Amino acid sequence: MSNKTKPIVVIVLAVVLAAGIAVYLGLQTSASNGGAGKPSTEVNPGGGHIRGNASAPVTLVEFGDYQCPSCGFYHPIVDELLRRYPDKVKLEFHHYPLVTAHAHALAAAMAVEAAGDQGKYWEMHDVIYNHQKEWSILPNPESQFLAYAAELGLDANKFMQSVKSIDVEKRISDDIKRGSEAKVGGTPTFFINGHAVEPLPSGVDEFASIVDAAMKSSNQAPK
Amino acid sequence: MKQRATAICVVAFLGMIDALYLTIMRGVHVPCTLSGGCNEVLTSAYAEVYGVPLSLIGLIFYMAVFSIAVFGIFEAAAAVGLLRWIFWLALPGFVITLVLFYLQGFVIHHFCQYCLASAAFVTTIFLLSAWPRGSRQIQA
Repeated sequence: MSNKTKPIVVIVLAVVLAAGIAVYLGLQTSASNGGAGKPSTEVNPGGGHIRGNASAPVTLVEFGDYQCPSCGFYHPIVDELLRRYPDKVKLEFHHYPLVTAHAHALAAAMAVEAAGDQGKYWEMHDVIYNHQKEWSILPNPESQFLAYAAELGLDANKFMQSVKSIDVEKRISDDIKRGSEAKVGGTPTFFINGHAVEPLPSGVDEFASIVDAAMKSSNQAPK
Repeated sequence: MKQRATAICVVAFLGMIDALYLTIMRGVHVPCTLSGGCNEVLTSAYAEVYGVPLSLIGLIFYMAVFSIAVFGIFEAAAAVGLLRWIFWLALPGFVITLVLFYLQGFVIHHFCQYCLASAAFVTTIFLLSAWPRGSRQIQA
């Protein structure tokens, strides 16, 4: 072996070895906690807000955090899925604000729930996700949420009352409890007909193929 | 000089494992027995830049440093120049490490043990590459 090729061989071997060790540690981690670090594979929490055809055979459950960039990334993907399968797929959304990491996640969830009290849950859900980068950087986004509520034609007083209501707080804490029971570790976490979607699909086509497989298996299931 | 390049190789190799592990485990709840705040940090808005995970950027950094350091071991004549390359890579890496340390402590209010390990690796690489003249004097 020439002196010029030796360093390249060492580099390739080291990268392969490092990858092997990292994969081994990853597998070891999962095995040692019995998969406790990963979401449960059978989850049907119920109680979330439903978007789409309520009698659709495929239920896509999402545990989301409005301030989480990945959730913002998946928001248009989920919308596109619902557009592609209007009669086959419904979304069941649950709040899972990672409050220690995202200072405004809980306030955003409360704003969406408060809008829901006036029948504009999904409208606010869309506005909050679509403007995530805008309000996330504010020291206090409350006035921004109020502005969104005004744009949606909501009654400002009722909106503020709802935001501060125990009922809204309870609905969110119930969702967090459901998420904890489902061993949701990060956001977004998706379940399709109760099965965790892992790893997260890279785009809408990959997500659609998972939905296709779920529809196929639900068609084959004994009735 | 060769010893220094070897030391950088070892640290960069450990960094590669750390960054690869975090890249593979992305989106999964990782165990956090030492610092307790890994998942808060790893799912925060600061864990990625324009959708690219920081762990992947770290992996590219460690691979680059490792590769240059390996050439430094085999090409003794070019070692000083190669070490300078590592320094110019490690300098922004060290600054970013300080920023990330600040974000963990004062913005996210949680520390991630894997990120702290990476901070230690980057700092060590930076320090090892920072004084090429001193090394020449030792050689002389």
